[in-house]
Amino acid sequence: MTATPLLSLRGIGKAYGPVVAVREVDLDIFAGEVVAICGDNGAGKSSLIKVISGAEEATSGTLQMRGKEVIFASPHDALSHGVATIYQDLALAPRLSIAQNVFMGSELTRPLLLPFLRVLDKKRMAQEARGFLKQLSVTVEDMDRPVERLSGGQRQAVAISRALRWKAEIIIMDEPTAALGVKETALVLDLIRRLKADGRTVLLISHNMRDVVALADRVVIMGAGRKYVDQALGDLTADDLSHMIMAGNARAA
Amino acid sequence: MREIIGRYGTALAGLTLIVFFVAFAPNFATTMNIVNVLKDTSFLAILAIGFTLALIVSELDLSIAEVASLSAVVTGWLIQGQQHPALAVTAGLLVGLLCGAANGYGVTVLRVPSLIMTLGIAAIAKGFAFMITQGVAFVGRWPTGFTGLARGYSFGIPNLVLWLTAVTLLTYGLIKWTRTGAHMVATGEADEAARLSGIATARMKRIGLLLTGLCAGITAVLLAANLSSAAPNMAGDYLLYAIAAVLLGMTMFEPGKPNIPGTVFAALVLKVLGNGLVLMGAAYYVQDIVLGVIIIGSVAFSASALKKAAFKV
Repeated sequence: MTATPLLSLRGIGKAYGPVVAVREVDLDIFAGEVVAICGDNGAGKSSLIKVISGAEEATSGTLQMRGKEVIFASPHDALSHGVATIYQDLALAPRLSIAQNVFMGSELTRPLLLPFLRVLDKKRMAQEARGFLKQLSVTVEDMDRPVERLSGGQRQAVAISRALRWKAEIIIMDEPTAALGVKETALVLDLIRRLKADGRTVLLISHNMRDVVALADRVVIMGAGRKYVDQALGDLTADDLSHMIMAGNARAA
Repeated sequence: MREIIGRYGTALAGLTLIVFFVAFAPNFATTMNIVNVLKDTSFLAILAIGFTLALIVSELDLSIAEVASLSAVVTGWLIQGQQHPALAVTAGLLVGLLCGAANGYGVTVLRVPSLIMTLGIAAIAKGFAFMITQGVAFVGRWPTGFTGLARGYSFGIPNLVLWLTAVTLLTYGLIKWTRTGAHMVATGEADEAARLSGIATARMKRIGLLLTGLCAGITAVLLAANLSSAAPNMAGDYLLYAIAAVLLGMTMFEPGKPNIPGTVFAALVLKVLGNGLVLMGAAYYVQDIVLGVIIIGSVAFSASALKKAAFKV
């Protein structure tokens, strides 16, 4: 491919004291792709994601966005560069409303009486939150409803809405279907297809090879902190992927 | 219906209590008594609003009473030394802010749990209060420019009630209508989620604890002005009452969540209860027993309201 990658990792390493979780990973993500990152527990997927999402800084290596070096020292840095992460535990506040969750950390305000006095624009936030959910084909009427009263799939939609709110180009999803039932999983897979159709780039971390086969354009397989497979999905089946992961484990051992 | 009972049940119970005392407690419904109850409520409510702000960012501040005592002592010391009231008041508020800042620093930078940090600051504040006073109270004929802050009236309304109104509206506005408030609430509700959403959670905790200290300072200045005296243990009894007000308040309006209107109304209910019991001839220690029951009952109740909100709709 000749196009400049949207996001490039060069020689990324992450160590926790003496424990090395990620070693020398190079990875290019192109706009509009769905890239699945697979690997067994302890393969280094989560640590790699934490580096890309700004939750933790890499111990070595560099990140580039569109060919320019960037430093993600905090989740806020990553978000403002258009990289949003949806964590396994969703990182939602269960008792807060849908609107409060979607706009958490990036609330809309309007001026009140005095030019420097700005108050929350709750009406617009509710309106826009409803819009994001609609875009994801999820209809919930009441934006004041606490997230704890939503189904698992709806919660994913709220979490994705937050990423949309940040105008994220790259959306990282950590095990989005791990805790869900069959119907909810179908809903979430559909949400991811919608994001792709919308031209967004998705980095999918999953243990579920069927999800990966259903969604990914490209698979990256990690083992013992290294990337050892990076190829287009092509005709690979879920079984093939499982074998590749196990082969990687064998090599790492 | 269940939702209404969850939100307003204890508030209605409190209202019923007030009506009961109006009807049956001798001399309860006199203007003087009601004004006294309202004035008394103001000290407690402002201090309890402080505790609420700490709890909103999910921290405990057990130093509020000792910090208030120290603030009062510093204020009284300066008034006694013939300093200008404005200077004395500023110093009192600064003591509150300083202690609040220390709590925030300890919790977010030194990473000492707030339970321990604020107990430590409470002990330190107590020590300083006794050091400054050498164990005795500052008492005197203090200038009305100072005492008027608490004893005076404006537009026919006791100044204390106006101070309480101002503090209530400002803090409610902050929490409900500003970005900082939204960030504080998010920090308290889900620290990690807030951090991952780009919120400066440590800063929010510092702001919460700083404002708690400020509320303690305001309470202290008003207490000293009202009594024309400042003693090193003058606010000691307020801690448990403030906690009771906040917990009882959490059973109202926004069940399970610390909230300003709940705290203020609960403070009023507690003061009415104390006053009514005394007027009906109950012994002074009955109040303490009732207070303990309210503290335990509120938490038991609001926890169940929480479960209801989560699973039964």
